[in-house]
Amino acid sequence: MIDVRDLKKDYIDEGEVTSALRGVSFTINKGDFVSIMGPSGSGKSTLVQILSFLDRPTGGTYTFFGRKTDDLSDIELAHIRNKSIGFVFQSFNLLTRLTSYENVEIPLIYSGVPVASRKKMIEDAIRSVGLEEKIYVETAKLSGGQKQRIAIARALVNDPDIIFADEPTGNLDSVSGAQVMSILDGLNRNGRTVILVTHETNTAEFADRIIRLRDGVLESDTPVKNPHRSREQFAK
Amino acid sequence: MRVSDLVRSSKATLKHGKMRSLLTMLGIVIGISSVIILMSIGASAQDYILNQVQGLGSNLVIIIPGGSNNGRLSSPAQAQGIIITSLKQQDADALARDPSISAVTEEVRGQAAATFQDNSLTVTFDGVPANFFTVRNFGVAKGYPFTADDVASYNHVAVIGSSLADTLFGAGSNPVGQYINVKNIQFRVVGVLEKKGTGAFGIDQDNLVLVPITVAQTQMLGITYFNDIMVQANDAYNIDFVKARVQTILEQDHGITDPNKDDFTIETQQDVLSLLGNITSILTLFLAAIASISLIVGGIGIMNIMLVSVIERTREIGLRKSVGATDGDILQQFLVESVMLTFVGGVIGIALGALVVSAAWLIINNIAAISWTFEFPLSAIMLAVAVSSVTGIAFGLYPARQAAKKSPVEALRYE
Repeated sequence: MIDVRDLKKDYIDEGEVTSALRGVSFTINKGDFVSIMGPSGSGKSTLVQILSFLDRPTGGTYTFFGRKTDDLSDIELAHIRNKSIGFVFQSFNLLTRLTSYENVEIPLIYSGVPVASRKKMIEDAIRSVGLEEKIYVETAKLSGGQKQRIAIARALVNDPDIIFADEPTGNLDSVSGAQVMSILDGLNRNGRTVILVTHETNTAEFADRIIRLRDGVLESDTPVKNPHRSREQFAK
Repeated sequence: MRVSDLVRSSKATLKHGKMRSLLTMLGIVIGISSVIILMSIGASAQDYILNQVQGLGSNLVIIIPGGSNNGRLSSPAQAQGIIITSLKQQDADALARDPSISAVTEEVRGQAAATFQDNSLTVTFDGVPANFFTVRNFGVAKGYPFTADDVASYNHVAVIGSSLADTLFGAGSNPVGQYINVKNIQFRVVGVLEKKGTGAFGIDQDNLVLVPITVAQTQMLGITYFNDIMVQANDAYNIDFVKARVQTILEQDHGITDPNKDDFTIETQQDVLSLLGNITSILTLFLAAIASISLIVGGIGIMNIMLVSVIERTREIGLRKSVGATDGDILQQFLVESVMLTFVGGVIGIALGALVVSAAWLIINNIAAISWTFEFPLSAIMLAVAVSSVTGIAFGLYPARQAAKKSPVEALRYE
């Protein structure tokens, strides 16, 4: 479903060119659970921004569900982000003045779902992360782990094909982190593609496969030997 | 994005920062209420002034000494300190003989102190014939107006204004039969005028002393001319025809052949009404224009706050874009917020304006005892709503564009 060939991204700042990606190629199939790792400055954030259509590459090709993406308009990119992609951020990015319900509703607002049909979708999404008792609570009053679970519910509500999780456990204690990872694991077991960005090997090994970047190039792309066992270990 | 979502989301945002929203709105509230108040005062003043002029009496043609500029009303010659003696008794007599004219009343005017015992007040005294009271609609509340006999016999009788009566004799007392002194002449008070307020040409009719014109001309002023002549048109004739007749008669009487050299000016009540109507309309517009400046200031306040809000909510903009908001969605959201601020501000401003105007109306009518009509022009409300909404769009557009332009990656990274 995702195929990148010789993907490049240059940033130009006051005439000086910085290459964040210098030609990266790989394929991710439907249902994969992939971790992207690399030290800071390796280009992993840039890669994820391009894969999730928040940014455009300056070279190479990105094919998404068999379709080349370089000629898509900003509005088409916004629609793809809305329908096909769910985001989970390190810092949650909830609107804390709103309730859990209202936060999870936001993607539905932009996909034009009628107000009457939203309630069930939102309740289902919040139930799937086990926080139905917090549905009408202002998210400012939730714990970090609960916030991240509401953020996952928001990512799920439009039934996307891919979940992008950027350091989802980075701001959480180990118990909350384990809960979040087990939710992501469950989503993947149900057939969703999950792309996880992390710098923790332990978390990365939750995936079936780890893509490592260094200085904007692919350093390695290796399967995880025993991902299920490592998931259980993490859960302990 | 649905309209209901836009409104709901904007409402939630504005409610969240209640104090800030209220303070931001204040500029618009003050601007709109000033426009409403000034337009209302303008409309009411116009009504009041026009009523006063109509109070002069119906079908009146006014003749003022001195020529005019191209037939347009200029300031009366007396007001410029020039004494023009062109209107005489023979003019009044000639006018009275014309069948298109039903009544002629002349006036001479001066200033002097009116005294009763220790009380004294400088007033305008008006020498008038007996028919003045009916032609000019001057009602007498106590006593009677003086008669044609009084005028012919140079009797020292006076009809005084109600405020003057209160000043000289004390409120509520009846001065009829008492004597007052004006210019060393003792006048017997025979009547007190109904309360009328300041009339046309700025003369306070409640502080007037009306005396027989014969007495005023010979014994008080020593003149033979008039300050003005008023002519009441015969109902059977068109007022413009009567005006033309008056001009012909006076030109014949004064031996003038070139109408541009007329030494008098003729105005009908209609001329005065339309002129005053024009003046007050311009004045009202001028006041509204001044008030609109405060609207612009209010609009800039809104723009300022919206710009701050865009910066504060950079991450929110990033998040909304990451979950599918287009540039247009973000633009709409911020624009609706600023329009909502100005619209609500506009509605509050209208309410506040209405409140102030009604309070002023109550005070003027009950405490100052001036009959002032309460005018709340619909045009002012429509203008206020339109202007406040346009202000919201005009001053909200720039911040909203700034918000929409943000790249999602940079917005999400913003600390």
